[in-house]
Amino acid sequence: MQRDPNRFWNPHLAGVALGLVLAGTYLVMGSGLGASGGSLRLGVAALQVVAPEHVESTPPLARAALAEHAHWLVYELFGVVLGGLVAAYTAGRLKREVLKGPRISTAGRLALALAGGLVMGIAAKITRGCASGQALSGGALLSVGSWVFFMSFFAGGYGLAWFVRREWR
Amino acid sequence: MTFPIFPSGEAGLVFAVLSGFGFGFVLERSGFGRAQKLVGQFYGYDLSVFKVMFTAVVTACLVVVVASVLGLTDFRLIADHATSETLLVPFAIGGALVGAGFVISGYCPGTAYVAMASGKIDGLVTVLGTIAGQVVWSELEWRPGFSTFHNATNLGNYYLWELLYLPDRAGPVIVAAAVVAMAAACFVFADRIERLLSDRADPLAQGTPGGRSRRVVLAGFAAVGLGSLAALLLPSGSEARAVETTRLSPAELAERVFDAPWTIRIVDVRSLADCTARRVPGAECVPEEDLQKLRLSEAEPARQLVIVGTEEGIPKEAEAYRGTLAVLRGGFGAWEGYAFTPPKPPAPGAPPAEVEAYRIQAGIQSALTGMKAAPPPPPPSAAPAGGPRKEGGGCSG
Repeated sequence: MQRDPNRFWNPHLAGVALGLVLAGTYLVMGSGLGASGGSLRLGVAALQVVAPEHVESTPPLARAALAEHAHWLVYELFGVVLGGLVAAYTAGRLKREVLKGPRISTAGRLALALAGGLVMGIAAKITRGCASGQALSGGALLSVGSWVFFMSFFAGGYGLAWFVRREWR
Repeated sequence: MTFPIFPSGEAGLVFAVLSGFGFGFVLERSGFGRAQKLVGQFYGYDLSVFKVMFTAVVTACLVVVVASVLGLTDFRLIADHATSETLLVPFAIGGALVGAGFVISGYCPGTAYVAMASGKIDGLVTVLGTIAGQVVWSELEWRPGFSTFHNATNLGNYYLWELLYLPDRAGPVIVAAAVVAMAAACFVFADRIERLLSDRADPLAQGTPGGRSRRVVLAGFAAVGLGSLAALLLPSGSEARAVETTRLSPAELAERVFDAPWTIRIVDVRSLADCTARRVPGAECVPEEDLQKLRLSEAEPARQLVIVGTEEGIPKEAEAYRGTLAVLRGGFGAWEGYAFTPPKPPAPGAPPAEVEAYRIQAGIQSALTGMKAAPPPPPPSAAPAGGPRKEGGGCSG
């Protein structure tokens, strides 16, 4: 079969598949999926190598270091990377590259990726979860906070899109 | 209740990798390892982010709704376990910042991992930025000033159905059905916008239309949603209360009334005339037919609800109470026998428990019968002069 890197699953069928994975996680683990909690745990692991006393004396870091759920989220993230790798390889999309629009340099794109990641990292800690943990996992369970996040998330994206259009188009 | 399973230790970790694998695989196949496709959401040429996310939200919600309707799990139990508290102001501001970070980096934290896995350097850099950001805010969030904002406007676990004053059983089903209707409208609209704004010449600037699958998926959602709504109307005979109802003896109830009245809420469901004539101290007189006016399913569940009736039955409305439930053993008749008969004084040297029981019964008995026997107040022959006093006040009078 010809592999076309520009062919994707139908969004609604993909959404149903994603929803079933999520529902399975609820029913088995009693919790949802996420990406930011595991990220924090990875950062804490790095800090524990450099400055273990500092981790112990900072309550949020110490909590993350001890929490069993954070540990679980790291394994889940490992699965995400594995799943992404297998899917990209089998779809012919596994390729080392920098994704960007035609009007921005590679260095500029990477700087913005880092800045954007940093902003998201900070913000996702404020909101106790990112798009997957809060909007997706909390939204499906009808949490008011998750729906506030959902709307605010889109508002923030649309609000800034015009200013960074040179990065993409 | 079958779910959640809560597997222990290693089994849970194996499941973590499996569910993560599914998550990552689907995200990649949706095209979410590609930044241009993700940010297309914010330029209007590709609304896959919205379509996939919203479809996933509805699917997962309906699965849990159906499992709850079938009695396999409890929607609220899972929701309380899996969702965070609602902090209005931090979520509104933080949510906008996550959206801003999304359009700057081209990823959300989850999809950045997928992009990294498929070899995208910008995905890797975004992951590093996210990790750094998480640590940075952890350094700040507990410090004075920052913690005020970080923990502001905490509404606790708060759900859309509570916002609409719907009960825990029917609420999720009704809201889920409304969300299905909303999804149908949004998806049709999303395909229209994509057709308008996509760029045919650029393979990276095209949406993935919902097509026929959209109709199939929406029809499935509608069927499941309506089915769950219909199931709500069926009598829920099989629905056993998770918490056993305690049967309180009159002595136990009296002890609670005397020593810890703040732990109980007594509702007397006999007729209004009977209840106003004689009742357990502190009881609310609410005849059974008026019980639904108390909205017990939404009432604060901190106190134990004690039902006092002519018999020991528990009315259906009371079963909806979220806290613990108790019933007076033997109904009000037993209470009368206990509280209105003078107790025998304990023999000298009786064990302390017996003395204590006597103290309570005598106390109740004198409080209830003594007041009835007290002489009526003297006629107001030498009543003080009428009209409000102008001078003095407080205790000096």
